[in-house]
Amino acid sequence: MGVKKLFLVDDDDIFRVASEVLVKYNNLAEEVISFENGLLAFEALMALEHSPDELPELLFLDINMPVMNGWEFLEEIKEGPEIIRNTVKIHILTSSIDPNDLVLSKSYDFISGYIAKPLTDSDINKVAQSLSSATI
Amino acid sequence: MKTTTESYLDIKQAPWPIVILDKELTILEFSEGANHLFDHSKLEQAVRLDELFDLLPKNLKKQITSGAPYKSTIPTVCQKGSQRWIKTTFYPIQNTDNLHVLFEDVTRQKTQYELAIQATDIAKIGSWKVDLVKNTLFWSSMTRKIHEVADDFEPDLELGLNFYKEGKHRENIIQAVSECIESGKSYDLELIIITANGQEKWVRTIGEAERRNGKTVAFQGVFQDIDDIKREKLENEKLNNRIRVAVESANIGIWDWNVADNNLIWDENMFTLFGLDSSKFSEAYEAWETSLHPQDKEFAANEVKLALEGVKDFDTEFRIIKGDGSIASIQGRAQVFRDKKGEPLRMVGTNVDITGIKRKDERLRRLLEVTEKQNKKLVNFAHIISHNLRSNSSNISMLSGMLLSDKGGEKTQQFLEMIQTSSEKLEETLNELNEVVKIQSTAHSELSKIKVVPIIETVCEGIGAILHDAEAQLDVQLGENLTVNAYRPYLVSVLQNLITNSVKYRHPDRQLEIRIEAEEESNQTVIKFSDNGLGIDLKKHGNKLFGMYKTFHGNKDAKGIGLFMTKNQMEAMNGKIEVISEQDNGATFLLYFKT
Repeated sequence: MGVKKLFLVDDDDIFRVASEVLVKYNNLAEEVISFENGLLAFEALMALEHSPDELPELLFLDINMPVMNGWEFLEEIKEGPEIIRNTVKIHILTSSIDPNDLVLSKSYDFISGYIAKPLTDSDINKVAQSLSSATI
Repeated sequence: MKTTTESYLDIKQAPWPIVILDKELTILEFSEGANHLFDHSKLEQAVRLDELFDLLPKNLKKQITSGAPYKSTIPTVCQKGSQRWIKTTFYPIQNTDNLHVLFEDVTRQKTQYELAIQATDIAKIGSWKVDLVKNTLFWSSMTRKIHEVADDFEPDLELGLNFYKEGKHRENIIQAVSECIESGKSYDLELIIITANGQEKWVRTIGEAERRNGKTVAFQGVFQDIDDIKREKLENEKLNNRIRVAVESANIGIWDWNVADNNLIWDENMFTLFGLDSSKFSEAYEAWETSLHPQDKEFAANEVKLALEGVKDFDTEFRIIKGDGSIASIQGRAQVFRDKKGEPLRMVGTNVDITGIKRKDERLRRLLEVTEKQNKKLVNFAHIISHNLRSNSSNISMLSGMLLSDKGGEKTQQFLEMIQTSSEKLEETLNELNEVVKIQSTAHSELSKIKVVPIIETVCEGIGAILHDAEAQLDVQLGENLTVNAYRPYLVSVLQNLITNSVKYRHPDRQLEIRIEAEEESNQTVIKFSDNGLGIDLKKHGNKLFGMYKTFHGNKDAKGIGLFMTKNQMEAMNGKIEVISEQDNGATFLLYFKT
């Protein structure tokens, strides 16, 4: 049911540990790989450009992060190789409840979802459903 | 017959216009003068008087046979077509049935008289006369008409006076008439009468006494209906008054400049506006010259020039120095009146003191700036709440939720520790928020002159261990007595934060050097704080550097609150902070303190 690989991009280590447990418990992904900022995640994705089978099917992206924040990461993805945009379903996962952030996220057409923290079982179920419907 | 023939010869050469006529109006003889008066041919061909005049008085024949001289002014049309009036006098010649008829051309007098009659009719001027001896009052027909009484109305003095409206109008006329009778003083009044038909009417009444032996025996005068003019005048006055009140209460000064004669006229409001005594200036131009603010003189003169040239309308603001020495802002508007060739004749304008409005405007603008700043801070606050508070609280709720539904497994202990950490972070965030709120509510009045060097020494003592570990070199290039306008706890906090930042973001490849210098300018002191650390890419992060919870280096200790606090503290001290930096090339912070 779940995917093979999920990238979790968030600078908050407590959130990373907790959500990894939650993701695995709900069988959303077999493997969860965490990054503490957008740059590290982007570099990891670029390294897999030529081996698309290794690319994660899912990516949870925080917005407020040092070094490279979520928006900057999305800008890089937008300019980057198409294969990444086509393969990786990106869900924004943020503690921001600023409506401007939601509006801004809509401007990226390759984004699959927007989740406000805390991450819950039902959020994960929705992501799972969107995956299966996309496959059909 | 002979005698008559002889008498014919008598008049033939006479230069006066005279004819001899018999009872049947046959012309027996005419003089050279008569021939001259009438058109020559006309009289020579005429046999009867009827032929000289188109229309003779009806009962002429009866009149001339009565034996007494008879006078009548008879119209005739001369050959040129214009009408003439001939005064004709018939004298019966004794012992004959004939008459001497004497003519006089009175066309001019007659026309003038008629014009005069017409004029008084048009001007609605009547006349009257009071004879105190006979105790009669005579009214002309126009006077009657004005009173709206019938032609047979018989007025007397009392009746006449009673036409005046009761109250001050009647009192005024009675007093004037009494004085005229007693001392012969003439009068000229404008009063209201109530006509026979009950209409109120403004009249002008002029009276003059006729004195004999020091006594007034009669008085007479003219009486004019001035109702229309007077009402119009009163209406104008009312309107004028209304405008005057409006102009005065709005503090609008009006000026009128005759461009050709270079003559400037100010109304009283202008002098009030400029705080000047109008009696001290013979020419308004002088008042204008002395009042205009020296810095605005050239500008204002140019605005006038442009208006005269028709380049643009005169609608401008300038400053004046008022009589009491205070400076006022004036808004001036004017219109230029030109002759047919487009040459300016007159310029008429208004001045309004807008000092108060300007001051209010300024205050509003400042208020708006403060509000905008606070709004930005509020947005920052919303951001903090959404990010730091929510990220910690959502962690707690996630972790506790997983614990409650037994998802922790072997990680249960770790989850509990993480809940502990999250709640500690939450508390820390709340404390920081509290600090920020405190800064923003600190009043500027708590500022005082504080020596900078001792503060730096205090800060270095407090974080001596960190500086020592980093092997930092601190180079303080400040005078011992340099002071800045500051609030001590904030100054300590600002400097401590900058130094710890330098230590945190020092370059791994070189020894940390911090240099603190100062520049004293006329209205501010600038403290320059530079290091040789990592620096920051301002193109990328410049606008966010002083934002709350912004971190840039992925450093574990970075919390993103330091520079935000520093900026707020500087602003709370009426100062500001700026940064100059390049990636890898250190950073320089400029601290501006107002003196």
